[in-house]
Amino acid sequence: MAENPEGWKPKILGLVCNWCSYAGADLAGGARMQYPPDIRIVRVMCTGRLDPLFIMKAFTDGADAVLVSGCHFGDCHYLEGNYKAAKRMFLVKSLLKNIGLDDRRLRMTFVSASEGAKWAKVVEDVVNVTHELGPSPFNRKYGELKELV
Amino acid sequence: MAEAVSPTTSKKPETPRIGVFICHCGTNIAGSIDIDAVKEYAKTLPNVAYVDDYKYQCSMPGQVNIREQIDANKLTGVVVAACTPRLHEPTFRAASKDGGLNPFRFEMANIREQNSWVHMHDREGATEKAKDAVRIAVAKAALLEDLYPKSVPVERAAMVVGAGVAGMQAALDLANAGIKTYLIEKEPSIGGRMSQLDKTFPTLDCSQCILTPKMVDVGRAENIVLMVNSEVEDVEGYIGNFDVTIRRKATGVLSPEEAEAKGIVGGGCTGCGDCGPVCPVTKPNEFEMNMAPRKAIYIYHPQVVPLLYTIDWDSCVKCGLCVEACGEKKAIDLEMQDELVQVKVGTVILATGYEVFPIENKEEWGYKRYDNVITSLEFERLICASGPTGGHLVRPSDGETPMRIGFVLCAGSRDNTGIGKPYCSRFCCMYSLKHAHQIIEKIPGAVPYIFYMDIRSFGKMYEEFYYRIQDEGAKFIRGRVSNIQEDPVTKNVTVYVEDTLLGRPMEIELDMVVLAAAVQPTELTNKTRKLFGVSCSQDGWLLEAHPKLNPCGTTTAGVFLAGACQGPKDIPDSVAQAEGAASAASIPIHKGEVELEPYYAMCIEEKCAGCGMCVNLCPYQALSLVEKDGRTVMQVTEAKCKGCGTCGGFCPGGAIWMNHFATPQIVAQIDAFLLGGEQ
Amino acid sequence: MREYAFFLGCIAPNRYPGAESASIITSRRLGIELLPLNGASCCPAPGAFGSIDLNIWYAMAARNLVLAEQMERDIALICNGCYKSIYEVNHKLKHNDELRDGVNEVLKEIDMEFKGSIDVWHLAELLYDENIVGVEKIRESVKVPLTGTKIAVHYGCHLMKPKKERHMGSTEAPRWIEELVEALGAEAVEYRNKMQCCGAGGGVRGYDLPHSLDITNEKLQNMIEVGADAVTEVCPFCQLQFDRGQIEIEEKFGIKYDMPVFHYNELLGLAQGMSPSELGLDLHAISTEPFLKKVL
Repeated sequence: MAENPEGWKPKILGLVCNWCSYAGADLAGGARMQYPPDIRIVRVMCTGRLDPLFIMKAFTDGADAVLVSGCHFGDCHYLEGNYKAAKRMFLVKSLLKNIGLDDRRLRMTFVSASEGAKWAKVVEDVVNVTHELGPSPFNRKYGELKELV
Repeated sequence: MAEAVSPTTSKKPETPRIGVFICHCGTNIAGSIDIDAVKEYAKTLPNVAYVDDYKYQCSMPGQVNIREQIDANKLTGVVVAACTPRLHEPTFRAASKDGGLNPFRFEMANIREQNSWVHMHDREGATEKAKDAVRIAVAKAALLEDLYPKSVPVERAAMVVGAGVAGMQAALDLANAGIKTYLIEKEPSIGGRMSQLDKTFPTLDCSQCILTPKMVDVGRAENIVLMVNSEVEDVEGYIGNFDVTIRRKATGVLSPEEAEAKGIVGGGCTGCGDCGPVCPVTKPNEFEMNMAPRKAIYIYHPQVVPLLYTIDWDSCVKCGLCVEACGEKKAIDLEMQDELVQVKVGTVILATGYEVFPIENKEEWGYKRYDNVITSLEFERLICASGPTGGHLVRPSDGETPMRIGFVLCAGSRDNTGIGKPYCSRFCCMYSLKHAHQIIEKIPGAVPYIFYMDIRSFGKMYEEFYYRIQDEGAKFIRGRVSNIQEDPVTKNVTVYVEDTLLGRPMEIELDMVVLAAAVQPTELTNKTRKLFGVSCSQDGWLLEAHPKLNPCGTTTAGVFLAGACQGPKDIPDSVAQAEGAASAASIPIHKGEVELEPYYAMCIEEKCAGCGMCVNLCPYQALSLVEKDGRTVMQVTEAKCKGCGTCGGFCPGGAIWMNHFATPQIVAQIDAFLLGGEQ
Repeated sequence: MREYAFFLGCIAPNRYPGAESASIITSRRLGIELLPLNGASCCPAPGAFGSIDLNIWYAMAARNLVLAEQMERDIALICNGCYKSIYEVNHKLKHNDELRDGVNEVLKEIDMEFKGSIDVWHLAELLYDENIVGVEKIRESVKVPLTGTKIAVHYGCHLMKPKKERHMGSTEAPRWIEELVEALGAEAVEYRNKMQCCGAGGGVRGYDLPHSLDITNEKLQNMIEVGADAVTEVCPFCQLQFDRGQIEIEEKFGIKYDMPVFHYNELLGLAQGMSPSELGLDLHAISTEPFLKKVL
């Protein structure tokens, strides 16, 4: 692992569904489970709402990682939005690889409304992986290719 | 992508003026986040016209302040940085509305559940995160639009799934409130687990004596449509308008009403019982925990409601002897088929109960290997006067009366081995105390040995009952039973346990052991909950909307929970929750209409290419293609759309506008996070 | 012919050579070739080593595993103690990178590296596995059926437990070795507390012999209670405890049982027609004559 630049803190965008993962994250709060503060949450009603372009936009804006989190398969509040989201995330992952970004910068997980502990673990994992990968090349301050964006 | 314009906004965009209100939540937020720093930062954000903070923003003065500042500062949007929107979004929307703003101009920044509570020891990190959260919320608030919830009429009928004591109580309450109620039960009779019990704790009422009158009431109630042998097959619609398909399984027996409908005058099953004796097939009776026989055409017991025989198709040989015995009543139809029935209801209560954990999985106790190791439910039937032995407790191995009886508590409960259940099954301590009392009372000289971890006697008069059983001479041994061995000759069972109070291992030879097996949600619960879009917790119990403040509700509007399907519950708690759920389920029906959140999709027609990709994606068939001005465009049936946004996430032309979660709004949030702050 | 690296262990070759020869000969007839694992050391004994220094236990077992990896053969063995050490260390090293790195650091000194390329099997598992041998094939190989004998099966602890790390089904009431015994024509009898320890394991035999014999005594009584003619096991250490232990029980408690004790492969050899001397039955501490009279 290369030394990460001084002063850099991972910028991680979390796109989570209202019914499962957002509720799971609230539960982690209620149970006072501690995890690193590097993630910022944008709530949607369902991960099915996520246009692949949202994620590409986040990376062009310099996000170091994006976490998409929805309901478990079979538990979607809207029946099957999470299946569709998962399919799209495979597409985005291959897009990321094509443009030379490590596809580990995008992660999709399934955290239910009762899995507070899992949410904390997921965020911690994503933060650790992001530290391992270092700043995104498109990071507005620390990225190697910041001039390009 | 970001230039999409809402199809509803025709007037030119106003300049947003956002008010930001930051909550301390006592020290819940202020203890981990530098409120002043967030406040000063918020003032520097674009479009922010007013910033304030308050100790408890949700309190009346906090809400009044929001109301006043909307007017004083001509705010076009409100951001409250406080707890989760799942708790107080309705509160602050109401406050915004009181201030003259459309309630959907409100946006919440969660700086408690997802910030101060999870970064308690990182004040700097938490404060930075709070600043970002406020910035993201302000960016969205600046783009929010007026939305108007749609009122839809509520069908004046309700449904209760599961007719155990909780489901029956809920159905009776709804019916008494004048609401037509469909009561769906998968078994041939209502009554559920409670009807299998002998006595109830701590009052020692006879379970059947208090339950049977209720069963009869349910059978008689004019407003209750009772459907036994039935399961929920499919659910469509939403609060106020659920279209439920029920599978009525073929019972092979016509009720008098059904017979009449078929033109058989004066026919149908009267429960006379002439068919049973002639049936040549004998099967174990599930109601008696397989300890008594029944025929392939059967009722569980004489008090069943409705009093109708049922054919067990798996064992029926279709010999036709029962048809002959039935004679003129012509109640039996061996060619009967399942029937699908459609009903429309406004609200639904799930009361699907529990089943016993397969305790044979805990191999060390030898259930199903040793004759004289039984479960508590089997004990209930053996001690019950109407049970297979007429209430004489006997050992299964030899029919002798047992004198030394062990009760193993937490059998499969509070078990972290991965085989049992990690939770407390909650009523086993109390019914085992009751069992101990029953054998002391019924069998002179019999000694109950209770192997326990903790006695949890939490309810009204429960602790007193515990003392009473101690005084009656039950032996309490605090320790978890590690192993049970059977004597191959006498069939006595030796219990190996560490008495943790004396600090020594013990071996106790007993005549019989009763395992207070853990309980788990029924297998069908999982299927049913998915049909209604209800979540479950990790252990499978159905998830309530809020564990403290909304224990009867679910995250699906119009669907409520009663009884043990939500978690192990004794009878009083089940009944109490049933009454709560019935009350909650009757509110929308009595109001007559409900407001639906206006999060539906809209088509931006000038962008729509009419490709129709979205039409197939929609899980609710809410989208269709129509001809308009010579072009094919998509059209949304708003009442069908539930607002998931799956169509909006896919539309290749960006032609779908998701109310309140529109593409420009989400992109503004992403940009605000990544570009708006300090790099 | 399936080939396995045969890990002998210590007790079988030193105390019950018949168990060793019986395993090789009977297996060959059933399509399993047991190849010598040259250079193998003690497994090492899980109780004696594992309770004192886990790192030594890991490293020595890993060395034995590497020998088989170099042969490119899975290991087959006939002792529950060896199974505990070799199977479990293999499992742990495969699933725990940190542990594996530590062990490989030690192995580097003798130019070895644990790769995790093989599996470890108890010979009894292979005999029971339908895809390898199976009960039917064993039944077909029988020339001298053991009809009319009642045999008490002792599984031994390390073969079946801990449950989470084993894969032979029920740990409290297993029946698969009984099936293997019944394939030989004998009756396998159920007895009280079947899954109890033989008394030897976990270092108890070495540390507290009277206590250890007490357990063995209880087990033997439970077997006598149901009229067993002999004990069978799949572990030479259990065999030692039941066989040699009866002499010690007589010395210490004055109780005489004369219960013959057989490794399962010895019984299999008898049923396949091997002679008692080929099976080294004369080396048992308790005479096997009364049993042999019943079947031969």
